[in-house]
Amino acid sequence: MSMSMSTTLRVKTAPGFRVDAAALRPLALAAMSAAEIERIVLPAGNERCRVGDVFDVRRGDGAATLAGDDTPTLVIDGAAQWLDRVGAEMDGGCLVIHGSTGDHSGFRMSSGVLEIDGDAGHFTGCEMRGGRLTVRGNSGDFVAGALTGDMEGMTGGTLTIHGNAGARLADRMRRGLVLVGGDAGDFAASRLVAGTVGVAGELGAHCAYGMRRGTLLLARRPAHWPATFTGGGQGFDVFWSLLVRSFAAEIAPFSQWRTDRLPARYTGDLAVDGRGEILIAG
Amino acid sequence: MPTDPPPTMNAPATLAINGTAIDATFAEAFPMKATRLLITAHTPVWAMHAANSLTGFATSVIGCGCEAGIERMLTPDETPDGRPGVAVLLFAVSSKELAKQIGRRVGQCVLTCPSTAVYGGIDAATSRAPLSDRAPLGSGLRFFGDGWQIAKMIGDTRYWRVPVMDGEFVCEDTAATVKAVGGGNLLLLARDLDAALAATEAAVAAMRRLPNVIMPFPGGIVRSGSKVGSKYAGATASTNDAFCPSLIGLSPRSELSAEVGCVLEIVIDGLTDADVGAAMTAGIAAACEFGRAGGMLRISAGNYGGKLGPYHFHLHELAAGLDGSRA
Repeated sequence: MSMSMSTTLRVKTAPGFRVDAAALRPLALAAMSAAEIERIVLPAGNERCRVGDVFDVRRGDGAATLAGDDTPTLVIDGAAQWLDRVGAEMDGGCLVIHGSTGDHSGFRMSSGVLEIDGDAGHFTGCEMRGGRLTVRGNSGDFVAGALTGDMEGMTGGTLTIHGNAGARLADRMRRGLVLVGGDAGDFAASRLVAGTVGVAGELGAHCAYGMRRGTLLLARRPAHWPATFTGGGQGFDVFWSLLVRSFAAEIAPFSQWRTDRLPARYTGDLAVDGRGEILIAG
Repeated sequence: MPTDPPPTMNAPATLAINGTAIDATFAEAFPMKATRLLITAHTPVWAMHAANSLTGFATSVIGCGCEAGIERMLTPDETPDGRPGVAVLLFAVSSKELAKQIGRRVGQCVLTCPSTAVYGGIDAATSRAPLSDRAPLGSGLRFFGDGWQIAKMIGDTRYWRVPVMDGEFVCEDTAATVKAVGGGNLLLLARDLDAALAATEAAVAAMRRLPNVIMPFPGGIVRSGSKVGSKYAGATASTNDAFCPSLIGLSPRSELSAEVGCVLEIVIDGLTDADVGAAMTAGIAAACEFGRAGGMLRISAGNYGGKLGPYHFHLHELAAGLDGSRA
């Protein structure tokens, strides 16, 4: 696998129904010919469709890869909100979406890089396990959360939303890093088991509701302050230094935080375990 | 394992630097398990207090459980948390013993020391020494937190935050260990104690400038070189009578000529055989600066006939190319 193992799927015509794109994984497609890729059948609700019906398939047209020349890269050009489960269960490689996506983008992805130019629907990075998922626009509800009835949300990797996130951000998340450059809706970091969630903008009501452990990083004090958090003491400067240094390559404002400016710390949710923390920097 | 010629301890020296004879012999070294820990603190002084304590009573695996020493000071831009620090190396005979010593020493000497944090210092991606098991670090010490401790993943690294009276004791969950080399050595034979101390001190100072090695004895120097076995049952090692100046003409094994008044040894543990070899070369060069005129008569090395340890450091190979060496 030398250079330019890239595949581009360009949308020809919108199919008029929702399409499940989970089969379009960069590593799997890198091993197939263009003709084989065109014959892949994608579930689409009660319908099915062939990749060739919806997309123009092109190989190695020199698309710049994000992670180096020998990383299999798949570009989906012209995607829109009818394309669900983009990068679901993705296990490596690089998947670049020019356009927006539907629900469950990066669902349970374990490795690789998933980049979405536009907006993503609900359940973005739901139960994500590893890798890096970036949404340049906004995302809907349940980012980094769990499927209904499941015990754990995101358990690894880095998920960045440059815009806003909907309600229930990081619900039941257990491990990993979620950074939101804009606002988050109600119940951000609710039922958080552990992990790190940063929100640069405003929060809705009930943030950190039922938070057990983990870290909620805020750039400003939220309008609705949770009643079950208490002033969280001092002496966490080594941890703060490790954390802030790890943000050097992440989005602003997190990348600009300084190790020598300690945030205000609050701990809770005292209604549950109470070992979680809200850190308000800046 | 290469087959060496029979040991030639009594062979006449055929190499000399500044009149200091280099014996045609070799140091025999053994596989060990090792790790590097990075200790950081609010100030360099407190990092050094912890490092001195952690590497205390760690001269020989025979009685201390491990051999440990300070590798070097670290500037704030070299440490994970941006604070000043110290790199220490620990060597033990097995992964199990190494893990035990790490747990005890970090628990008693770093956890206790104001403002410190501790991290694994072996970079798995760049280590030239073969990787071995990961040893528990915070995964054992966390229980001191009595339930208040918190694990935190930052990037791919898992840390523990244990509440202590000055804030939080932060440590990495585990530390990578490597297959390393222990027991490289030099025997420096001098006219008297002053000459022997001056030469060995200079040799140790030169070795300490190199990475990946420690000289675990006090000041890097050992005067009680040992041989395997004893006349007494139950003693596994005893004094190296071949190199005791008070036994010249008395011990049948004596290797010393009448002009030798003092012998000191430097023991070197390193992450790879190349590291140990480089340190020995640096030590030979520094000692030979004193030359015969400075009382530095001869350099030899300890071995067990070449049958026990897989690493053989031949002095003539190490000294080849040093300035002033001549056959």
